[in-house]
Amino acid sequence: MSDMPLIRLTEVTKTYHLESGDFTALDHVSLDIAENEFVAIMGPSGSGKSTMMNQLGILDVPTSGELYIAGENVAKMSSLERTHMRRDIIGYVFQKFYLIPLLSAYENVEYPLILKYKKRDTTGRAADYLRAVGIDPDMGAHRPNQLSGGQQQRVAIARALVNDPKILLCDEPTGNLDSKTGLQIMEILCDLHRKGKTVIIVTHDPHIGEYAQRTIRLADGRVVAS
Amino acid sequence: MRDIFFDLSVRSVRLNFLRSLLASIGIVIGVVAISSMGMLGTNMQLSVKDQLSANVNTVMLTSDVVKMSTGLGAAPSSNTIDTSTLNDIKGSAGQNDVVTIHHTSTQFSVGDQNGRGSIYGLDPSDVPKFLTIAEGSNIRGSDALVGATIASNFNLVPGSTIKIGQNCATISRPVVRVAGILAARGIAADGVNVDNGIVVDDTWYTDHFGELDQYDQVNVIVQDVDTINQTEAAINAKVNRNSDVVRISDASSRLSTITSTLGTITTFIMAIGGISLVVAAVSIFNVMMMSVKERVQEIGILLSIGTEKGEVRRMFLYEALILGLIGAVVGGIMSFVIGYSVVNAMIGTTQYFFQPASLIYIPYGMVIGVVVCVASGMYPAWAASNMDPIDALRSE
Repeated sequence: MSDMPLIRLTEVTKTYHLESGDFTALDHVSLDIAENEFVAIMGPSGSGKSTMMNQLGILDVPTSGELYIAGENVAKMSSLERTHMRRDIIGYVFQKFYLIPLLSAYENVEYPLILKYKKRDTTGRAADYLRAVGIDPDMGAHRPNQLSGGQQQRVAIARALVNDPKILLCDEPTGNLDSKTGLQIMEILCDLHRKGKTVIIVTHDPHIGEYAQRTIRLADGRVVAS
Repeated sequence: MRDIFFDLSVRSVRLNFLRSLLASIGIVIGVVAISSMGMLGTNMQLSVKDQLSANVNTVMLTSDVVKMSTGLGAAPSSNTIDTSTLNDIKGSAGQNDVVTIHHTSTQFSVGDQNGRGSIYGLDPSDVPKFLTIAEGSNIRGSDALVGATIASNFNLVPGSTIKIGQNCATISRPVVRVAGILAARGIAADGVNVDNGIVVDDTWYTDHFGELDQYDQVNVIVQDVDTINQTEAAINAKVNRNSDVVRISDASSRLSTITSTLGTITTFIMAIGGISLVVAAVSIFNVMMMSVKERVQEIGILLSIGTEKGEVRRMFLYEALILGLIGAVVGGIMSFVIGYSVVNAMIGTTQYFFQPASLIYIPYGMVIGVVVCVASGMYPAWAASNMDPIDALRSE
């Protein structure tokens, strides 16, 4: 397994069974993503970007083919093992931020630590990550609805990073932000890549795609350029 | 530091405070219904037990032999024990006191007021053995002792007179003079319920009601309560040797029958109270399902970033637990207040209210309330934890 990349998809197909008939969102996709790559997954609507994101985020399993993440065959993992992999190896940044509305900014960042260590954080790590993404610790007590979009996305990035994941999955991370804030968020992601993180961005914005070292283009569920 | 899932549940309850409060009120009502009814039933049992325990050393003997009665206003027939049987009873009762009792129901008049009650004919020397004269003195000749209820209702005092028998213009009625007032007995385990009765000399009784040498009831007052079973057995062996001549019972068997009946009634009324908890359970279920539906996207976030299904379940069960605890605590306090009032109003005394057997119904009710609440939250919690995170995230 020493030659296994961080992510490997081998003939991965995802088919949804709809009333109108079967719909293949990913069609025999094979690709490797190595550690510390900065990858942009691009394509038009309906090309399979979100399905690909769900596969890479282990929110779903392939209908056929094999998906390896950190050397583990995802299809052979139990539901609990997949949950732990999402918690420990993958950090998510969503377009709509998806912070937990009942928790403060600080608690949102602390939350993954609690999931992992089963206790509240006393190390100050959550506060460190908040500072690292440019959120003043005084803002930590604010609820998500009291923060601007850019601040919420920074908190979401801090939450994604706090368990030191190997992969940072970003689904249209600047889609709900103005261009200036979007650039700031991209700067943070580039900085994380420089520090050794594997960053995967799903976007349809070519300007955002330019930040990536490598672009994977999807069309009709197939990889057309990689 | 508190569990973050507990914190999330507390905040969710706070966020939907009114809805949560209304759901908890259902639990409050259920807890109050169960606890109050349980306490009422137990207080009734304790009260009856206390009253019956006073005569626990008495064996009651009655006969099934039917005799016609010809006395004043007497019932047309009665079950009596004859002298021969009485002698058998005395022979087998050993050193214990044997009390013969004549008894019927009669009308009477006090001044212009007419009434109806029991009249007992007793040997005056037997009166102090089981009755307490609260005021006045024992009977002699045409004297009478009156029960506490009659004395109170007819304003009788020692020296008052009572005409016995049906009020009839053509027949003069015998008159008795009240010699004393008896202390209240309540429900008497020895079958002599004199609170609404008149006690006269047995000679006076047989002169006016007949039944000479025929006794409605014979009580054996045992000196040592531990020998009551042997005494009963000895009487049974002698008197009922050929056929069942007398029916033998004692206070403990009556006590167990009455307490068992009251226990059944208590369980029944608690079950009726429990119906309100079923309604509360439906309300909690509804509130929990609404909470799950409203938080679908939040559940999706939790699941997608690595929250275990069990942790999501726990969060919703905590929410149900909080609703249950609020309902149970408020219900427990209200049960105490309402239970006290109900017991006081229904039984007339709260002397048994603070006994553990009575108060235990408050924690019982509270625990049942919490359990019902958590049980109602199980399905919503399960539904939340088994959501597909992708679908949950997509929901708005």
